[in-house]
Amino acid sequence: MLMEAILQALRETFPAETIEARAVPIGETFVALPPDCLHPAAQVLVERFDLRHLSTITGQDTGSAIELLYHFWDGGGLTLRTSLPREEPHIATLTDLIPGAAFYEREVCEMLGVTFDGHPDPRALLLPDDWDKEQLPMRMTNDQSIDHPTKRLPDQETHRPND
Amino acid sequence: MTTRPSDYLTKRLTDQMTRITIPIGPQHPALKEPLSFLLTVEGERIVESVLRLGYVHRGIERICQNRNYVQNVHVVERVCGICSHIHTTVYCQGVEALLGLQVPPRALYLRTLLCELERIHSHMLWLGVLAENVGFTTIFMYAWRDREIVLDIMEELSGGRVAHAVNVIGGVRVDVDEPQVDSILMRLDELEQRIETLLGVIQHERTFQVRTRGVGHLSAEQVRRYCVVGPTARASGVDVDMRRDAPYAAYDRLDFRVITAEEGDVWARTMVRVPETIESLHMCQQLLTGLPDGPTTVRARRRVPPGEVVSRAEAPRGELIYYIRSDGSDRPARVKIRTPTLPALSTLPDQLRGVHTADVPAVLAGVDLCIACADR
Amino acid sequence: MNDWLSALFALFIFPGFGFLFVCALACQWIDRRVAARLQGRIGPPWFQPLADFVKLMAKEDILPVGAHEWACAALPLVSLAAVLTAALYIPPSFPPIGGDERGGWATSAFEGDLIVVLFLFSIPALAYFLAGWLSVSVFSVVGGNRSLLQYFAYEVPFLMALCGPAILSGSWSISRIAAQQSQTVWMVLVQPLGFLLAIIGLIGKLKRSPFDIPKAKSEIGAGPLTEFSGRKLALWYLTLHMQMVVGIFLLVNLFLGGCGNWSPGPAALIFGVKALLILLVLSVASVLYARLRIDQLANLGWRVLAPLALLQMLVIIWIGVG
Repeated sequence: MLMEAILQALRETFPAETIEARAVPIGETFVALPPDCLHPAAQVLVERFDLRHLSTITGQDTGSAIELLYHFWDGGGLTLRTSLPREEPHIATLTDLIPGAAFYEREVCEMLGVTFDGHPDPRALLLPDDWDKEQLPMRMTNDQSIDHPTKRLPDQETHRPND
Repeated sequence: MTTRPSDYLTKRLTDQMTRITIPIGPQHPALKEPLSFLLTVEGERIVESVLRLGYVHRGIERICQNRNYVQNVHVVERVCGICSHIHTTVYCQGVEALLGLQVPPRALYLRTLLCELERIHSHMLWLGVLAENVGFTTIFMYAWRDREIVLDIMEELSGGRVAHAVNVIGGVRVDVDEPQVDSILMRLDELEQRIETLLGVIQHERTFQVRTRGVGHLSAEQVRRYCVVGPTARASGVDVDMRRDAPYAAYDRLDFRVITAEEGDVWARTMVRVPETIESLHMCQQLLTGLPDGPTTVRARRRVPPGEVVSRAEAPRGELIYYIRSDGSDRPARVKIRTPTLPALSTLPDQLRGVHTADVPAVLAGVDLCIACADR
Repeated sequence: MNDWLSALFALFIFPGFGFLFVCALACQWIDRRVAARLQGRIGPPWFQPLADFVKLMAKEDILPVGAHEWACAALPLVSLAAVLTAALYIPPSFPPIGGDERGGWATSAFEGDLIVVLFLFSIPALAYFLAGWLSVSVFSVVGGNRSLLQYFAYEVPFLMALCGPAILSGSWSISRIAAQQSQTVWMVLVQPLGFLLAIIGLIGKLKRSPFDIPKAKSEIGAGPLTEFSGRKLALWYLTLHMQMVVGIFLLVNLFLGGCGNWSPGPAALIFGVKALLILLVLSVASVLYARLRIDQLANLGWRVLAPLALLQMLVIIWIGVG
């Protein structure tokens, strides 16, 4: 089974880590890794198994850490999960192995503030050019203004009916 | 470059020109949704292009965190107008997996029926857009006129032409009866004839082929490097289709072919999407004739137990993936959406290099952009 | 005094501006209606072209900063003047006013007026290019460049095809060529290839589909006319449609025998039917094909059309000499 072979290869590559596979609906296998193991793990997938289809990179703020989930697909779903600290999170980029990861990493960077070391083009993907870089939309926050923005953009006029 | 007289003449007249920057978008007749390309053009060939997204970014993922699961069905439906049903399908599938629900077979069939009808509608819309972009307005008019048949069917089934609101967590909200099934089958037969005619016209019309062959070429290697999905990938020979590889809804009970092509240009993408439309028609016929009896929905709890799910499906443009995490309340803790247009967009700077300015609309249309999907 | 009045009548009413204006509106309506029906649509009502013209005349007239104001205002007028002047030498005109009595049906005719007409016909193409160049926006400039490339592609076959009837009938006056055909035989029967090339050239000159490359809507907005609006745009559209009418009349006279030797009533009817025939061919051609790319058009023009035109010329010279 491909998944078994992959898990075996990961265990060989990282003898110090406990590699456990967890079945997650729908038909997905989750494997947790520390952040600096992620690039070597992806290298194993790409070079030994030719598993190059990265569906997306999910970033989420769980309150205690920033979690990154790398969703791969090769006949079955494999997700590599890693946790980063909330202050100044950074991780190596996968764009040297999988160029298609570029857009996903850009989005995680602008939404959660994760720095991808070595990314060739770390511009914002979706947010406007004059967006305040300190405001990270997908971080958990009690600040209500992120969901009800009242801050106006610099050159925006207000159009009141009697003006 | 060859030294044909026409090339020579064009080159002599244009190589005195310096590089100019042509903006394609955010508003442009070739684009149906706002997207910005800055093309650096030398003579008539593109040297470089810079892509800018985000003009219709609405923050859907953040909005989902502030609404409960039922409200979110309607939120994710509005990610895109053309592929709205598949978004709700993937979302509801995920939440149903978290809840451990068994959706009744009749509901699965109806869900799949709408998925395939939506695929037909999306591909016909795409065909019209491509034809219009290469100047073949007649095919645009015919394709969109025949698309009305599908839209009328969807409106009859669900009450809406594009935003159907058919899916609920636990099943579907609509049902069909015998007379309706017969009427729909009759109209699908008529539609099949019309699509066959359109396919015949396209295959024999030399000016259309001359504008689409060799344009916007993507090799299988590039497809795999950029993780491209859907008909764009299949047109370059990469055989991947979530309906066959990870069957969801009622696809494990259907008999269908996955269409691929080898050339990897806009012509190949046409030769994948139009036969795929006919294949979808046959699937709709199978679904309608084999509709099982039973309820169309099961009751779903409002509070979803803690857990996470990765849900995938084959949208008209390719693999659509949702990641949903719940923390035990009635609101999701995270909804992550990756739409199939996003990887296709990342290939566009490569596709556009060295291409004629006149072929830019054909390249853009060939990729079947859905910017609202990509921006969310 | 009578001369002055009849001259003014010819220039402004018939067959001058008034007549051509009505013909332009009618041709535009027929063209849009036929194209619409072929595409499964209904098409506009009969007064639509007039309504469009009136609406455009009433709209605001703006140009981008940096565009040459007076030049952009003059260009459509110059083109219009060129087309209307060309129309003076092209039958029909009734009754014959001044000019050569033997030619008979044009407002004015002289030996060599075919050359003058072809020259006047090129002026709108150059003005179109200048309009794009002078209105400064990127889309206009690119459209202007394309229109010039297109001009080089179709003009040579077009000219050669139109010289055919002149060579064969031994006269360079349009009226005389038309009159001769009623005594001998229609030119289209003698040189069908020339007729075909003339129609293709006319499609290119009028920038209609499949040769509407300079104003390719999905690629460069409206091409050279992108930045024009209001009265200037109304005059441009009027020029382009009048060019279509005059071009069709030219082809009818050179290839289909013009008015013929009938008395005025039936002659007008017959002329109208022939013009309608060519108009229908143009309308149907505009919906049948996808738009070509500029280099594909240049290829077509120089590798296919020009050699065919040359062949046609050689055949005519051989017939004429033999």
